[in-house]
Amino acid sequence: MTDMHTPVHDARLGQIAAAQHSKSVSLRNVGKTFGDTRVLRDLTLDVHAGEFLVLLGESGCGKTTALRIIAGLESATEGTVHVGDKDVTRQLPRDRDVAMVFQSYALYPHKTVYENIAYPLVVRKRPKAEIDAAVREVAASVQLEPLLERYPRQLSGGQRQRVALARAIIRRPAAFLMDEPLSNLDAKLRGHMRAELKHMQHELDITTIYVTHDQIEAMTLAHRVALIDKGELQQLDTPARIYSDPANLFVAGFIGSPPMNFLRGTLANGRFDAPGVALEADVNHQGDATLGVRPEECALVAAGEGQVRGRIYSVELIGDHSLVTINTGEQQVVVKVSNTFAGEIGREAGVRVNRERVYFFDRQSGQRIRRA
Amino acid sequence: MTLLKRWFVRTRIDEMPPGARIAAYALLGLWSLVVLFPLYWMAITSFKLPVDVSAGPAYLPFVDFRPSLDAWRYIFVDLGPDTFRPYLNSLIVATCGTAAAVFFGSMAAYALARIEYRPPVAAVGLGVLMLAALVAAAGWGGVDPRIAAAACVALFFLLLRPVVRRSRRHLGNDDILFWIVSQRILPPVVTVIPIYLTFRSVGLLDTHLALVITYATANVPVVVWLMFDFFDGVPKEIEESAQIDGATRFAILFGIVFPLVAPGLVATSLLVLILSWNEYLFALFLTTANAQTLPLLVAAQNATRGPQWWNMSVLILIMILPVMLLTLTLQRFIVKGILVGAVKG
Repeated sequence: MTDMHTPVHDARLGQIAAAQHSKSVSLRNVGKTFGDTRVLRDLTLDVHAGEFLVLLGESGCGKTTALRIIAGLESATEGTVHVGDKDVTRQLPRDRDVAMVFQSYALYPHKTVYENIAYPLVVRKRPKAEIDAAVREVAASVQLEPLLERYPRQLSGGQRQRVALARAIIRRPAAFLMDEPLSNLDAKLRGHMRAELKHMQHELDITTIYVTHDQIEAMTLAHRVALIDKGELQQLDTPARIYSDPANLFVAGFIGSPPMNFLRGTLANGRFDAPGVALEADVNHQGDATLGVRPEECALVAAGEGQVRGRIYSVELIGDHSLVTINTGEQQVVVKVSNTFAGEIGREAGVRVNRERVYFFDRQSGQRIRRA
Repeated sequence: MTLLKRWFVRTRIDEMPPGARIAAYALLGLWSLVVLFPLYWMAITSFKLPVDVSAGPAYLPFVDFRPSLDAWRYIFVDLGPDTFRPYLNSLIVATCGTAAAVFFGSMAAYALARIEYRPPVAAVGLGVLMLAALVAAAGWGGVDPRIAAAACVALFFLLLRPVVRRSRRHLGNDDILFWIVSQRILPPVVTVIPIYLTFRSVGLLDTHLALVITYATANVPVVVWLMFDFFDGVPKEIEESAQIDGATRFAILFGIVFPLVAPGLVATSLLVLILSWNEYLFALFLTTANAQTLPLLVAAQNATRGPQWWNMSVLILIMILPVMLLTLTLQRFIVKGILVGAVKG
């Protein structure tokens, strides 16, 4: 556990930051097809200089492809990529002034830690003295100084991760690209490295595009989150707004744990109706709709009260809270309650939902139906 | 079941029960005898006089027979330059042939492991068709081969675009790999006459170059086949990382990839070197005097007076010496686990 409790060195990072030249990254209508499979569709993203943007989505949604297109490891089938105000769409990875940290770290196994970190400067044929100074400075900033003569195989997972970071930092690139850099670490170390990454990004003030499938990582790290599904951008917003103001059914269902409750029913004349559910709705929409409400915005009340009627289906103690599932007959609602709750399964109960925190979605398109 | 399982569990020899240990050592000893006895026999034969050989088996020097340096003197002094020239020829031909085969073969293997090729079936078919047309025109039609070849090449490129545009099916890297390796399916003896005629027509018979070209070509498939797996085993992300770090394709190949496949490269080179060093058939057809190699000299000791076992033994001993030394020095490069620590935690 030597990886723990070794915070990155602030003063050194500050020195490195002074020399960084962070730039914006933007994608314009980028699309990508592999043979007949379309993996990215019309992706437009503007990442501001110094911003931490997270590309979030399930595996296979196209987020890694988007990152690889920015890096130049894949070519865009259509659209353009800009770093700063330079169009890099047709440029080789080495001319794009971006650095990348891979999920697997991709260290050079036959080179020492020192040589690994120095490599980006060595291939650019910088003077030896300059390289040496840079390596020692960067190594100090990520606490790798004592390990410089080791080989990657002699390092722990967290140490390898920091070598990969150091190799990315030493370039002083216009932007960092990170492809699930924490997913190979164990849970405890992951939490620690997450905090460290966030701190480092803040200190270096460098544009960072970070790919993950983990919504906790996305919510905690990002200035803004771009949620992608089936190759299409679903919503691009701050974590808080992604959580509290989802654009569509997919975003609402993806973010949040336990996930948002969805109830299928019909909207008519300012009312939402479904078996066991009746509630006023201030939206001008008629027809099939899905109601969404988060478990923490629901409260368990006596039978007959509240907008939802049903029976207790199960009670799960999570720790600091419990989750109660209410069966309305055809559908289920999960309610977050205090961990002292004791209710019998099968008993009748009501659910009161916070009307300010209810979302309606068009059943066909999945798009949010906004308040009138 | 447990007994059956135990058969497949590997045990260290010093953990075995005494009976099993004795049996294991006995088996190993017996096998060593099988392997080493021919070498021993050759070594003592090289110190025998013809009369000692023909008098029947003699096993122990100084006991069964009086060792003599006659054969050694014959090979090094009497034969002298006629021994050293083939020796030098073998050295030149084997090392140059190996170097060329490993260089071109590993380039091809790397390309096959990293770049996706999709040659259309129609293009391949067109190529075969043009080749057949060339053979027919030059062979039976009596057309000047040079004119026929030029016409066929021109026709191929002319028809390539329209034919390819129409075809949907294409081959992949696996097909190319198989095609390269399939060139070794043909027994060498089948190809030796055409190769002989080819080199005769370009006036390269009995030269080093002919053998170097032949050995390099014959061994490229072996190199491609072996090196493909080594290149394929290098994680792609390492190369992608180097690309982003700013390295050129060749810097990646020589600075990152080759060091990582060094064990495979060494093992492959060694194998190809031994194949070329010992090659007999092509050397027999393609050389007469100047470029003659060691295996031919060994075979030549089977002369009209009958096999000269003692001379042959001396030659074989000096022939296997460099290979043994090389294997021993290069062995330390053939290590496993060079890729540990590259990817994953």
